[in-house]
Amino acid sequence: MRGKPGSSVWLLQHELRMFWFNNGRRRKQRNWLLPVLAAGWLGLHGVAYFLLRKMPEVPPSVLPFVAIAATLLMVVLATFMFSSGLKASVDSLFERGDVDLLLSSPLPSRSIFTVRLGAVTLGVAIVYLALAAPVVNAGLFIGHVQWLAMYAVILAWTTIWCALAMLLTLLLVRVLGARKTRVVAQVLSAIAGALLFLLAQAQNLAPDSTPASLQGMIAEHIKPGSIFAPDSVIWWAGRAVTGSAGHLLGLVLAAIALFLFTVQFTHGFFVRGLQQAVSTVRARGKPAVALQGRFGQSLLHVVLRKEWRLIARDPHLLSQVLLQLLYLLPLGFMVLRSEQHAAPGVAAGLTMLAASLSTSLTWIIVAAEDAPDLLQASPAAMRVIRRAKVAAAVIPILALLAIPLAWAVAQDALTGLLMCMTVVAATLCAALTGLWQGRPASRSSFSRRAKGNWLATVVDLVGTLGWAATAFVLIRAASPGQNAYDARWAGISLALALLTLLLAWGTRRRTG
Amino acid sequence: MSAHVALHLHDVSKHFGRPAVEHLELAVRRGELYALLGPNGAGKTTTLRMVAGLLAPDGGRIEVMGIDMATQPAAAKQAIAYLPDDPMLYDKLKPMEYLEFVAGLWGVAASDAAPRAAELLDWLDLSRHAHELTEGFSRGMKQKLALAGALIHSPQLLILDEPLTGLDAAAARQVKDLLLSHVDTGGTVILTTHILEVAERMAQRIGIIQHGRLIAEGTLDELRARTDGGTLEDVFLQLTSPA
Repeated sequence: MRGKPGSSVWLLQHELRMFWFNNGRRRKQRNWLLPVLAAGWLGLHGVAYFLLRKMPEVPPSVLPFVAIAATLLMVVLATFMFSSGLKASVDSLFERGDVDLLLSSPLPSRSIFTVRLGAVTLGVAIVYLALAAPVVNAGLFIGHVQWLAMYAVILAWTTIWCALAMLLTLLLVRVLGARKTRVVAQVLSAIAGALLFLLAQAQNLAPDSTPASLQGMIAEHIKPGSIFAPDSVIWWAGRAVTGSAGHLLGLVLAAIALFLFTVQFTHGFFVRGLQQAVSTVRARGKPAVALQGRFGQSLLHVVLRKEWRLIARDPHLLSQVLLQLLYLLPLGFMVLRSEQHAAPGVAAGLTMLAASLSTSLTWIIVAAEDAPDLLQASPAAMRVIRRAKVAAAVIPILALLAIPLAWAVAQDALTGLLMCMTVVAATLCAALTGLWQGRPASRSSFSRRAKGNWLATVVDLVGTLGWAATAFVLIRAASPGQNAYDARWAGISLALALLTLLLAWGTRRRTG
Repeated sequence: MSAHVALHLHDVSKHFGRPAVEHLELAVRRGELYALLGPNGAGKTTTLRMVAGLLAPDGGRIEVMGIDMATQPAAAKQAIAYLPDDPMLYDKLKPMEYLEFVAGLWGVAASDAAPRAAELLDWLDLSRHAHELTEGFSRGMKQKLALAGALIHSPQLLILDEPLTGLDAAAARQVKDLLLSHVDTGGTVILTTHILEVAERMAQRIGIIQHGRLIAEGTLDELRARTDGGTLEDVFLQLTSPA
């Protein structure tokens, strides 16, 4: 069914079609992807029915605790909804470039923004609705009609966070401009992903992380009368999930109110022509000042400075690279708790981190070169440029890890030196693999860099694991009381790491 | 003859599955502005990319200032600057930083590069934007900055692929003035353009390429003499339209 041209329904259909084309894959992939996804989704209904059928009824006394757990889950989901809402808002209002076209048409401007916010919300909510549907629909078959409230909760919750995201977008765009707002949205999205991971690892990070102690800690905080008590307003969203009609109605009304306020505000923002001011900020330029550059430096210096400037000025990429440090935190905590494996574990972790950072930076610097033709058209020797690029990737990593390595050497000279050796070797090998295997790509495809280059991905992974294993076994073998068994394993893992490097070299891309 | 020739293509060919350039013979004299014209897909960009050393010809030889591009690429590239239609820039660099980098690639001494960079930015009206990242620049500003980068090492041969595409009248005038000034000071320019009036007014000689072959070459008067005359557009259409 198609809406009448010019109507809000018609506009919403257009928005959803744009969403599908922007977020779907290439046409060839879409043809087979949709039936596969649909089949998988229907299959999930069966799995959910099978599991829920055997689930015992939740006693009313436990419902408040279910509401607490549901609220915590919704808070986590809110971070994803908010960051997705930010990205979608920047795209739909400032990047897609069709707002002017729509505003110049006879369509009422208020309905344009109503539909646009609605489309942003639906675009974000659809993932969560699809994920919840098998559970809710299966629940219907076994008599849990109240679970239908989940759909309303997801829609209301997404509306609230997307509306807030759009309001923040307008504020940020006013202050920073559309481009920087997009970067903020991307960084928030990366942090949201890391946050979920850290929450999942909370038990490992806590100083006393036995299940009994955690239960005790929670019970202490939710006792009656405290702000976190089960009947507290804080758990409102969770109570709505459990099917409480009053709480659900409150949530839906809050979402509608915020939606209408946001539409009004967005409409006002555009009608007052503020977006024009935003887009002209950059064009003004600064008054002429004395121009000074640092000319006459060696090719190595010139390339190093250029690469480091480009990385330092790309906060989105930088955040994606540095978030790898965050992912290793739980590993570090786990390793440090175990006396026996502390030094080998730290060595393996640092080696893996070094290799992983080196892979990422080398990809950015070598494969994602913005102007390869400029380099190739210049008389500069490509081998010097390539060496300088490897140096540009490796130096920051070694500088970053110098402090923990110095600490390790101060603790135990032999262990520390072995650690230094494996870290440096892993960093260099990962950089060389990137240099030999990297395929030209744009910086914006950083998160998708593994796709379509499976050999490089496998070589990277095996090489990284090989060096990490070498570090672990070598340092264990160097510990007092260890036998030759570890030394043999060290030899095997080292051979594996070197073989992958050889494979990377043997299958390298030939470049000018 | 060779002492007066800035660029010489001897029987150059390039295939991408099908022929892109076939047995191309071309000579551009020193100190001249040469316009290479042709319909879309005629092989103009491929020819320029081979001259710039970005593509190796499948057959034939390219000489820049008498230097063989195949055997002495670094020496040949030292004399060239190449400006494609899509400027080769870094979004996260400021104009002066970009010029520093390009000067470094061509090994320009600080004593030459620093004043030249300031002069070029001034000339191209980019000094006011010297402290902004190029990602916020308009198409015209990007094109002008790329041109400044191309001129930072005072190349003897300037190769430009559609240099005026997307420029407003003022920016186009600045670029044209800069090219004429380069030729006046003894430099050589070879450019492609679809704006035939530009070639008509600026070029000393014009080459017309079709299906990878040079089908006509000469001054505008010489080309007119080969056809029924008229404007360059008339001449071009007569020469390139199917018989």
